[in-house]
Amino acid sequence: MRDRDQRPAGTRSIEAIQDDFRSRNYIADRSVATAVFLALELERPLLLEGEAGVGKTELAKVLAASLDTRLIRLQCYEGLDVNTAVYEWNYPRQMLEIRLLEARGEAERATAHDIFGPDFLIRRPLLQALEASEGTAPVLLIDEIDRADEEFEAYLLEILSDFQVTVPEIGTIRAERPPRVILTSNRTREVHDALKRRCLYHWIDYPTAQKEYEIVLAKVPDAPERLAREVVAFVHRLRQADLTKVPGIAETLDWAAALLSLGARELAPELVDETLGVVLKYEEDIRHVRGDGTRRYLTEAAAGG
Amino acid sequence: MTDPAIVKAPWGPEVDGRRLLGEAVGFGRSLRAAHLSIDLGAAVDFARALTLVDIADREQVRAAGAAIFVRRRDDRPVYDAAFDRWWRRRAGSAGQEFQPPSLRREEEAGAEEEAPGATPPEPGSEQATLRGEERGTPIPSDSDEGPDDESPIEGVVVSPDAYSRGEVLRHREFDRMTPAELREAERLVDLLVPRLERRRTRRYELHNHGRRLATRQMFRRNLGTGGQLLAWVWRRQIREPRSLVVLCDISGSMERHSRLLLRFIQALSAASEVHTESFVFGTRLTRVTRLMRDRDRDRALARVADSVNDWAGGTRIGDSFRTFNQHWARRSLRTSGVVIVVSDGWDRGDPTIVAAETARLRRNCHRLVWLNPLAGTPGYQPLAGGMRAAYPYIDDFLPAGTVASLERLGEILGGVRAGDTRRGSEAAAHAALPPDTPLVFGLPGVVGGEPVDPRTARPLR
Repeated sequence: MRDRDQRPAGTRSIEAIQDDFRSRNYIADRSVATAVFLALELERPLLLEGEAGVGKTELAKVLAASLDTRLIRLQCYEGLDVNTAVYEWNYPRQMLEIRLLEARGEAERATAHDIFGPDFLIRRPLLQALEASEGTAPVLLIDEIDRADEEFEAYLLEILSDFQVTVPEIGTIRAERPPRVILTSNRTREVHDALKRRCLYHWIDYPTAQKEYEIVLAKVPDAPERLAREVVAFVHRLRQADLTKVPGIAETLDWAAALLSLGARELAPELVDETLGVVLKYEEDIRHVRGDGTRRYLTEAAAGG
Repeated sequence: MTDPAIVKAPWGPEVDGRRLLGEAVGFGRSLRAAHLSIDLGAAVDFARALTLVDIADREQVRAAGAAIFVRRRDDRPVYDAAFDRWWRRRAGSAGQEFQPPSLRREEEAGAEEEAPGATPPEPGSEQATLRGEERGTPIPSDSDEGPDDESPIEGVVVSPDAYSRGEVLRHREFDRMTPAELREAERLVDLLVPRLERRRTRRYELHNHGRRLATRQMFRRNLGTGGQLLAWVWRRQIREPRSLVVLCDISGSMERHSRLLLRFIQALSAASEVHTESFVFGTRLTRVTRLMRDRDRDRALARVADSVNDWAGGTRIGDSFRTFNQHWARRSLRTSGVVIVVSDGWDRGDPTIVAAETARLRRNCHRLVWLNPLAGTPGYQPLAGGMRAAYPYIDDFLPAGTVASLERLGEILGGVRAGDTRRGSEAAAHAALPPDTPLVFGLPGVVGGEPVDPRTARPLR
């Protein structure tokens, strides 16, 4: 077990993380802060799941800023492979080098190491994260892991357990300080259990109205309080409606900013209808809400909030 | 002598690390009894976490445990219930000043074992949380704990698929599956799987007959010649079967057919090559994917029967589809899978909802196949309320309920060569009809509008 007294005093506690995040305009509730705290302390990757636009990616960014370290981001997609995620040889440069050696008449004496050396290695995000040696360990954000296919997930499993990569021509590259890993998933499919077992898990839910109000005020500081409150209440009402895609926090913020730039001080039915496209991204949803729905939701939101 | 297992915890007193570990393992075990998948590593992590958080703060311990033990959102209510129970037991009677749970612990953690006859796990049917109306009903397990009532690992757990008590449940037992039936279902799947429509993935394999240059490998191979491209390397896209989503109607009118169909779905789920998600619906939608994967097939079907409380009740196709569209479509149809609906289309709900939700379903999938047991009847036309509403959005409309018709399904699903689109398949279906067959509504052709006789069913090629 780790000796707690050897850690610099006051560096880390759940409250400190919460406060620090708040100072960076990220309102984290206790459970998120606990998950982050444990991920840092236990040196485990943290898997964040939640609907789109609840601030999963943002959390990684804020964490990197909070730890005063680099954020290395790997955006996942189907077919993501080692060559784009970990490393690749710079073939054109190798070709040029061969030509150069030939021109200088040194081709005979050249060895494989002259071509397959670190200079010719293109470092992709995962390798960057493992190689980062100066300063503190970087934050590695593996974004939308659910978009990657299972083959990549299996590969990731290997990296996350050993924090090392083997490049056949060079050897094994091991992280001096394992990066802090944040994985996010929109849950378009279930992440494999084996990967989940390596990680701590946290489901980020839509915030409470009060919390979302704080977020709006923090992120759109110029918004009048009344507008912010009405926007949040309306969005909360929308989240209960039968919609194809309910708005996330990102949409709330966009909307508040949009209304602000239109000079609005409060919500009015016509204004909502005109700007509904900022909040709802499906035509059928907009059709469902616009007009009568807007009025009804506004009344209900006003009554509820 | 200091015991290395003694750790100094932030709240002050020294705690025996081994007890802490025992405590964590015990909690892990009771979670496992509640059907969460917990391994020992997680329990060890939890023990470490307990040294890091304020162990007297209930919510902090809860959050810490949640980060470590919970791996799916749907597990959270189960975890919370198990946690509350554990915490109550550890903390002792209310009103008494809290002590860190582990300090109160008397007995050794390793002593308890789960009784061998404990209730078998019932992997979660996710509908519990979807419905959101119940937090689970305690299911007593026959965990044998001896006289010590305070034992932390008593197997009284909360199951995610416990249903609300108020509802009148209609149960239906499946008969045991005869070996012949089993073979039949497996044979059908064996025929079906290799013929399933394939999807190009975004991954490549090197292949001599590929049409794209594998530039990376080509450079690599030609480094030896100083960059003169002498050897050419080709690659092609890897293909894999599209995922299948089966929505099976189990309402009263489908009673006669559902057994065979469920057997079929079960055999399909067991085929490893293709990813199958299965749902059953009557008045509501229930996900049975994981139940169907049980190796003991009779037990699996018994559990499906148990987890469904609307057997042979009415049908609400529109509402069931809506649940699917809202909660499952994005998760199960990610790579544009094929949706197979098995239903006779008799519906108690509003046809306009059926139409709207079927349209939405169709937009979300690559191909929508509807199996209707009635469609084999001579002169059948899709006139039942729900069927009529859903009909325009269906790619393939087929009879179901007999073995022969399932063979037909195999032909439809497999007969479409990769690269054919759904328009193509419609055309193919039309083309397969005898020229005189009237087309209902002029929309997708009723394949099998005539009675299907097992003896004359077209052999599979």
